Amino acid sequence: MNINDFKDELMTVGCSESKILNDNEIYSNCTQFNVQAISLLLKKKYKLKFIGEFCYEVDSSKFMINILFTNSKNGYFITLRYISEDIIVSLQDVFEQANLFEREISDLFGLKINGGKETRHIVKHEIWEDGVYPLRKDFEIDRKINEKFEINNYKFKQIIGDEGFQIPVGPIHAGIIEPGHFRFSVIGEEIENLEIRLGYKHRGIEKIAENMDANKLNLLFERIACESSVAYSVLYAQLVEKLLKETVNPDIKSFRVILLELERIHNFLADIAGICTDVGFSYPSKKLNYMSEIIKQLCENLTGSRYMRNTVIPLGINIDVDKEKLLYVKDTLENLLVRIKYIIGITLESFTFLDRVENTGIVKMKKAKKLMLTGAVARASGLNYDVRKSFPYETYSKLKIENNTEEIGGVFERYKVKIAELYDAFTFIYKSIDSISNDIKRDRPVIRLKNGTEGIAIVETVKGELIVYGKVGENNNFDRLYFKTPSFTNWQGLSEAVLDEIVPDFPLCNKSFNMSYSENDR
Amino acid sequence: MKFIFDRIKNGKETIKNPLESNSNSYGKIIVDTSTCNLCGICEKECISGALKININKVEIDHSKCLFCKDCINSCPKSSLKMTNDYKLSYFEELGNEVRELVYKKFNRSLSLRAVDVGSCNGCFLELSALNNTYYDLSRYGVHMVASPRHADGLIISGALSINMKEAVLKAYEATAEPKIIIVLGACGVDGGIYKKGYAVNENISDIIPVDMFIPGCPPSPSAILEGILKLMKSNK
Repeated sequence: MNINDFKDELMTVGCSESKILNDNEIYSNCTQFNVQAISLLLKKKYKLKFIGEFCYEVDSSKFMINILFTNSKNGYFITLRYISEDIIVSLQDVFEQANLFEREISDLFGLKINGGKETRHIVKHEIWEDGVYPLRKDFEIDRKINEKFEINNYKFKQIIGDEGFQIPVGPIHAGIIEPGHFRFSVIGEEIENLEIRLGYKHRGIEKIAENMDANKLNLLFERIACESSVAYSVLYAQLVEKLLKETVNPDIKSFRVILLELERIHNFLADIAGICTDVGFSYPSKKLNYMSEIIKQLCENLTGSRYMRNTVIPLGINIDVDKEKLLYVKDTLENLLVRIKYIIGITLESFTFLDRVENTGIVKMKKAKKLMLTGAVARASGLNYDVRKSFPYETYSKLKIENNTEEIGGVFERYKVKIAELYDAFTFIYKSIDSISNDIKRDRPVIRLKNGTEGIAIVETVKGELIVYGKVGENNNFDRLYFKTPSFTNWQGLSEAVLDEIVPDFPLCNKSFNMSYSENDR
Repeated sequence: MKFIFDRIKNGKETIKNPLESNSNSYGKIIVDTSTCNLCGICEKECISGALKININKVEIDHSKCLFCKDCINSCPKSSLKMTNDYKLSYFEELGNEVRELVYKKFNRSLSLRAVDVGSCNGCFLELSALNNTYYDLSRYGVHMVASPRHADGLIISGALSINMKEAVLKAYEATAEPKIIIVLGACGVDGGIYKKGYAVNENISDIIPVDMFIPGCPPSPSAILEGILKLMKSNK
């Protein structure tokens, strides 16, 4: 159904008002009494995908709860919204993952979850003082959260019995990894339940973002998660360009694709190397890590930063690039690809390697859909969805022709999908370099946002689908920025993948997901 | 068998001296005082507060710098220039004592435990890059160990988030003497870009004594290596 028809259709199911903004976003109002029924209808009858829920303050003590859906076939967003004073109507019965979003809103805005079973804190840890809701407007920007002295323990789900025992891991892990707590409930050798507790790195980025000038905001976006710096800055560029209804010239678009795909290459090389490390296959792992390093140095050569930071900006580009340098990039990549293929070939021929990764950590397609998995992880489980194809941005409508999918959804399938996307990335870069005809010159126009405009932007990072909702406020600042990061939902997929596996297989499953703690916690 | 062919064909990858200056890397920013007219544009461009105009001089605090290069690009007189001098690590007051101690006790070998307290993960990506075959950290006798009880010190990155405070204090208590603390990244120094966040109350140096800072956003592997080696080598 196309977007105009669907807008009218929404009026028949009980929404009071519908409008279309930015060509592909429908905003519809409903009430807290019919939101549950409408959500169920959108899921069952119209087969829309639920992708998130967020909140912003309308004026003092009135909050707008937004439920975000997508129609990935026709490429548009639907935002169902209702005004509430102190409660969130729980959609936990309709969508399994709704609890995550509701708990986050409840922690940061102080609204009560009405009717949901799962109401534990996500962001707000025990040490926070009571009664503070940092994303409300009456919480000043310079104010800090105070510490509490009497601390109640968090209630973990656990298996009690003669045979069962719990293994707590973290928040600080062995190795060079970010913090997060895992609690395994184990009977004998097999994992019966895994509970993941995150939020340790919560820095309050959404609040910081509300008080930064739009011309500088790309720096903060890049620092949400370092491994996807480019994806985040492209996301910001997409958002601003959508709000201002402007676009950049095709050369810059192609250049952005080159950067995005370079980022994908160095990340996926490290991911593939990580899987080899966790199997104990050191030769390929060392070599692939080395190649990831070479790519990072290539990025440094091209943009002056190993993670290509402060290069992509809205409406322009922040560095000079000449055609010669791009040809050098192409040349280096061509040489490297031969070797990468050789090394990956070694792993695929090794029986001991295959024995370890095959039929390990399986997430079935049905479960993956319920858990709202995205990215390479979802494609390995058979979900045929890629933002680059469904919501093409930059020049992807020409480049991305088919998605890479696998069927079983185990570690080996995730390994294969990542390899396929790695090879794709090389071809995309070659094509993009060929399509750039002139030297790219630095161009940084001043951004002036219009008060009251709102929009949604979407990109595919190395982890999956990343969405931002932005609503502009006064003084060229954003009034509210909400990030639905891929890791936020994908972490739950890991809990599913390790069930009935043995504890020593956990690192392998974890590495095959390789989610970011930093973008989850924000 | 295939490994051996690959090995023979490509030779060794570890470079002899990873501290050699890399012509592409970012580093110290220098001001050309002869052309600078103190217009103040760069000060407005700097979001981290690293660049300040003090009386009649542009002063740059590299420990807070995000190396975004916005000041350089915005300068109408092109007075600011970025060099490749990445050697930005510096000791806190106690640092010198620690340096002697390290040399005496550990005879140039060092075991460190990595703790992240709220960064963007950039510093840790660079720290793990140090372990790849290009830099090969372990040839200098430096190891990343799995428990603070096995470690001579901690290597901490990020702005201290309130949720991580208890965990990092516990890790500090569990660390063996002499408890060397190295802090990575601009946000480890003073909160960096996150310092206005409601969940970032204190700096790491407020709750535990820090011996060395390695600034950068993120510091490159060479910069981290340079800092660690500086800590280990006695200059006597």
